[in-house]
Amino acid sequence: MNISRRDFLKAAAAATVAGKLTTSALAGLRDVLLAEDAPSVIWLQGAGCDGCAISFLNSIHYASADDVLLNTIDLDFQSNLQAAAGDLAVSAAEAAAAKPGYILIVEGAIPTGAGGEYCRLWPGMTMHQAVLQYSDNAAYIVALGACASYGGVSSGAPNPTEAKGVGEVLGADARLINLPGCPAHPDWLVGTLTYLLTAGHLPPLDEHRRPLEFYGERIHDNCFNRRLYCGEPVFADQLGGVGCLEFLGCKGKHTQADCPLRKWNSRGSGEYGVNWCIGARSPCLGCVNPNFPDGMSPFYEYLAPPPAANGSGEAGPAGEQHQLRVRRDMKAS
Amino acid sequence: MAKTITIDPVTRIEGHLEIEVTVDTVMGQKKVVAAKSAGTMFRGFEIILVGRDPRDAAQYTQRICGVCPVSHAMASTMNLDNAFGITPPDNGRLLRNLVLGANFIQSHLLHFYHLSVLDYIDTTGLLDQSPWTPRYVLEDMISGPLAAELVGHYVAALEMRRKAHQAGAIFGGKLPCTGSFVVGGLTEVPTAGKIADFRSLLNELRSFIDNVYVPDAQALGDAFPSYYSLGAGPGNLLSFGVFDQDAAGSTKLFPAGTYTDGAPGTLDPAEITEYVTYSWYTAASGGTNPADGVTEPDPDKAGAYTWLKAPRYLHKPHELGPLARMWISGEYTHGISAMDRIVARALETKKLADAMDGWLDQLVPDATAYQPSSIPVSGTGVGLTEAPRGALGHWMDIQDSKISRYQVVTPTAWNASPKDDLDQMGPVEEALLDVPVEDWDQPVEVLRVVHSFDPCLACAVHMVRPGDRTGGSRVLIRPGIA
Repeated sequence: MNISRRDFLKAAAAATVAGKLTTSALAGLRDVLLAEDAPSVIWLQGAGCDGCAISFLNSIHYASADDVLLNTIDLDFQSNLQAAAGDLAVSAAEAAAAKPGYILIVEGAIPTGAGGEYCRLWPGMTMHQAVLQYSDNAAYIVALGACASYGGVSSGAPNPTEAKGVGEVLGADARLINLPGCPAHPDWLVGTLTYLLTAGHLPPLDEHRRPLEFYGERIHDNCFNRRLYCGEPVFADQLGGVGCLEFLGCKGKHTQADCPLRKWNSRGSGEYGVNWCIGARSPCLGCVNPNFPDGMSPFYEYLAPPPAANGSGEAGPAGEQHQLRVRRDMKAS
Repeated sequence: MAKTITIDPVTRIEGHLEIEVTVDTVMGQKKVVAAKSAGTMFRGFEIILVGRDPRDAAQYTQRICGVCPVSHAMASTMNLDNAFGITPPDNGRLLRNLVLGANFIQSHLLHFYHLSVLDYIDTTGLLDQSPWTPRYVLEDMISGPLAAELVGHYVAALEMRRKAHQAGAIFGGKLPCTGSFVVGGLTEVPTAGKIADFRSLLNELRSFIDNVYVPDAQALGDAFPSYYSLGAGPGNLLSFGVFDQDAAGSTKLFPAGTYTDGAPGTLDPAEITEYVTYSWYTAASGGTNPADGVTEPDPDKAGAYTWLKAPRYLHKPHELGPLARMWISGEYTHGISAMDRIVARALETKKLADAMDGWLDQLVPDATAYQPSSIPVSGTGVGLTEAPRGALGHWMDIQDSKISRYQVVTPTAWNASPKDDLDQMGPVEEALLDVPVEDWDQPVEVLRVVHSFDPCLACAVHMVRPGDRTGGSRVLIRPGIA
């Protein structure tokens, strides 16, 4: 695997600006990128929509998709992209899984009803069997997207296929990282892969096994709609209106993700997105939450926020103590 | 000597598909004499949607497919507009068209470069690492400078499809899966700045489409002329029409229409019937229009082998997709084949991208794109549109202000359908007949024909009712063999 010096310096500079990689980690990144053997990645897709894979292809902020595919990892199995089909494709997965230390990426939920037959990857291999089998030799397991993390839309009530997330299928597993989102933001995946490859261990995770770097702050606390306040909140009177969307169903007070800062569909390397859900005047659906979608529906109805964690005041708009925090390296617009 | 080849998983599609072909030597040539295809994943969206707030449908149904979520958003919001009795303002119609158009461009670029072209190029010496290895190498594959050029375009197209999503997200909020499509229009408001940003990206896309994608598609046809005579299928075409040019939807960029037994026709949705002769449903579940559809599983039904119903128009199988749209609009008349599908898709992309520039001009900056409405206590709705792969319809009943029934019929359900009650094959299976297979271990010719339909299996099997059958959601299409 090769990376040009120019590309490495560009990536390192971006990482430094983001304040996310220490000097020693950068040195580690260079060593990894210049190594002979690229890290192997096996990417399994179950009961999902492939939206997280499409989202990954939109990666550009940390690295473009082609940079990741050509210069950073050996993507040994991934059904949307791989040249091989049928037996040839299966042989690639089996060969990669025989060498311990790969990163297993799981996208889509795992149906467990009907003996797992609601989702078959290839003859003799259901998604359920594949997740159990292919987790054996994995160094890390990344549950990509809401469905793989916690069941997602595929497990929406009444969950006709008994679909589950990876964590529920594997039980407690120290190698597991959840990257929920519907879809997951490409930066959350590429940033996590970069961390794993440079640090050699899991990043700090919250109680839902989500990286704190991406899921550590409440959407509401970084939302630009709050900048409209001059003491008194301004609430939008209808969708498409100006102001806070809380009473139109926004789940920003229930949701931890860096969407307001990172935004979606980045313009280029090191840049942030062109827009995001609330930026387009539509409410946050809470798509990174373990109880998405059922606990976040109806999407356009108000949901009383949970009590303030620091006990600073009553829950709800009447008594909540607002504290607008803006990270110095990412300015909300 | 006949040999059965199973390709499972079929890769470079969306979703889970198994193809089984029987190959035999006929008059000295090895070719497909029988074929069956199986969708191997099921989730059950029509069950998951029942009892929910109707407004949520536009978000849930987008998760049917991450490649064409905006098409589902369009069908769903049209369905909701219809049921709620609301018409979006012009800005809403235009913005929906622009976001949908951006995703069409993304999907078609992805399909040609990242899903299809590897069937035709020998990448030895160009892409010698996974996921491009292991690979097939056939004698007829392109090599040398043209291969190198196409590989360069493959990489460039990764950037271009990303830019198409950027453009769509300007008004869609984010892609894939847009939050701004709602009943009554679109929540985002076009500003002069956003319009300029979208146009700038559109100009880049149009340059790539005109100077790279369309020429590459035509070059592929020149290099593989035999595929203009392979993969024809039944030769009937259908479109629901898409990209409304006026508030009533009476004029569309790609009009609705049909082409049946060599004659054009006017689309009448009442003539759509789903058959279940070879499907695991009771006889009472079949022979009905989707608006009246009933789905009672009967997993022990004699002679049945699939969970997919067989959608038919005027009791005949019809192919859907870019070729159908371009044929019905009179823009493409060359022929119906695997290669015609690929070329028509590229030409459709150009027609669409050029039209999008005009839609930007029609936007009124700073004017709302949204019209508020209330959930009816009861009602019905229908939304007919087109996904990149073809006609897409959403049907809904509301009772007590909740969804009581929601049905989706997707293009791949038509294209990959089984035999119907008259034993007429579905388009994909008929298209596979007579396809040559040079090397049993490298059935690339079969992949070329299957890929020409741009199959999306998450869409095709999402709406099947779960049975208790441990065989799961296997769809078997068995043309012409006992």
